[in-house]
Amino acid sequence: MGGTESIYGDHLPQLEEAMRYLTDEISVLRGQIKEKEGMDPVEHCLSRIKSEESMREKCRRKGLPETTESALEIIHDAVGVRVVCAFINDVFAVRDYIAQLPQVEVIQEKDYIRHVKPNGYRSYHMILKVQQGVFAEVQLRTISMDTWAALEHHMKYKKKVDGNNDLIVAELKRCADELASTDISMQTIKDMIMTTE
Amino acid sequence: MKILIAEDTKDLNRVLTVALEHDQHSVDSALDGQQASDMIRENGYDMVILDIMMPKKDGITVLKEMRAVHNVTPVLMLTAKAEIDDRVEGLDAGADDYLTKPFAMKELLARVRAVARRRNEYEAEILAYEDIHLDSGTLELRCENSVRLSAKEYELLQELIHHAETEVETAYLLGKVWADSPGAAPDTVKLYVRYLQGKLRAVSSNVQITELEQRGYRLERAYD
Repeated sequence: MGGTESIYGDHLPQLEEAMRYLTDEISVLRGQIKEKEGMDPVEHCLSRIKSEESMREKCRRKGLPETTESALEIIHDAVGVRVVCAFINDVFAVRDYIAQLPQVEVIQEKDYIRHVKPNGYRSYHMILKVQQGVFAEVQLRTISMDTWAALEHHMKYKKKVDGNNDLIVAELKRCADELASTDISMQTIKDMIMTTE
Repeated sequence: MKILIAEDTKDLNRVLTVALEHDQHSVDSALDGQQASDMIRENGYDMVILDIMMPKKDGITVLKEMRAVHNVTPVLMLTAKAEIDDRVEGLDAGADDYLTKPFAMKELLARVRAVARRRNEYEAEILAYEDIHLDSGTLELRCENSVRLSAKEYELLQELIHHAETEVETAYLLGKVWADSPGAAPDTVKLYVRYLQGKLRAVSSNVQITELEQRGYRLERAYD
């Protein structure tokens, strides 16, 4: 027992296997859709096991003991997968595919696309239980949503406590809403192109 | 409103100023064309009342200079009675309205009110229909969440809302919304209607736009 023991105990291989299962399945789906429609629905897929340091910090932030139980049972994003798609309908196609995977149980879904966060954040979050035991968080979003989230994340860490803050927050929301509108237009154009083929 | 009176007859200028201030307007005075030009350039006015005959620079010249730099402030010209050519020249130079001298004060005040009314209509107006709100200032379409529309999308949706629940012809929409775009065609209207359909769905509205084969479109509440 000491500071060198991982907060994940000896479960790391399990976490990695669950993550690999998800990313492999997403690759299968990408192949299927590319075959059928000629376009890869996914722009990129990132996955990671949350670092030791991040997990401990999250435990502390949530007032939880820095234990394996906290990391694996109470906090659900030890395994994180982010899928970024070019078109909004593809976001939902990936969602549907993941939800019906045999080794996946959907614990919770948060639709921040339909229920946009007040600051403008849009994404689709899924909390899953993979292979009977491992929790994973999957985030699904479009390229626009991803761009916006990256900038907003940056802004959170550079927050200045002056009048400008309100303006920036309002302008970020405006950008989010404009990007969302563009996403819809792009999907509309794509639909129109696809149906006239 | 903030109004500039450019009139070289001091008494008339004074009388107009008093009358307009009494109607709650904020009034500046210019007694010659050059002064008028300078004040227009330096300040923002909601309306300018411009006499044609003024020393240093006449009203038509002041007006042409304004319009040449895309200053679209509404202008009411005061013209001498018998000169129809004055009135035609003034209107063609960019005046929005005219009054011939001598005029009744109450008529001038009524014409100023007409400009104020039109101006208020263009201020941020929220158009509401069923479960959606459309903000003309921000081009925001809002229901369960919000998206921003492009200028053309906004104008199209506004037009459809103004004719809600009735059939609107494609040709009418082309003439109204795409008057300044000679390249626009029925397919343009269809694409923009599709954009709006997507956005209405995205904000979870119960409003839909029905496509009526070749004929046109109808905006209405969806019933399922």
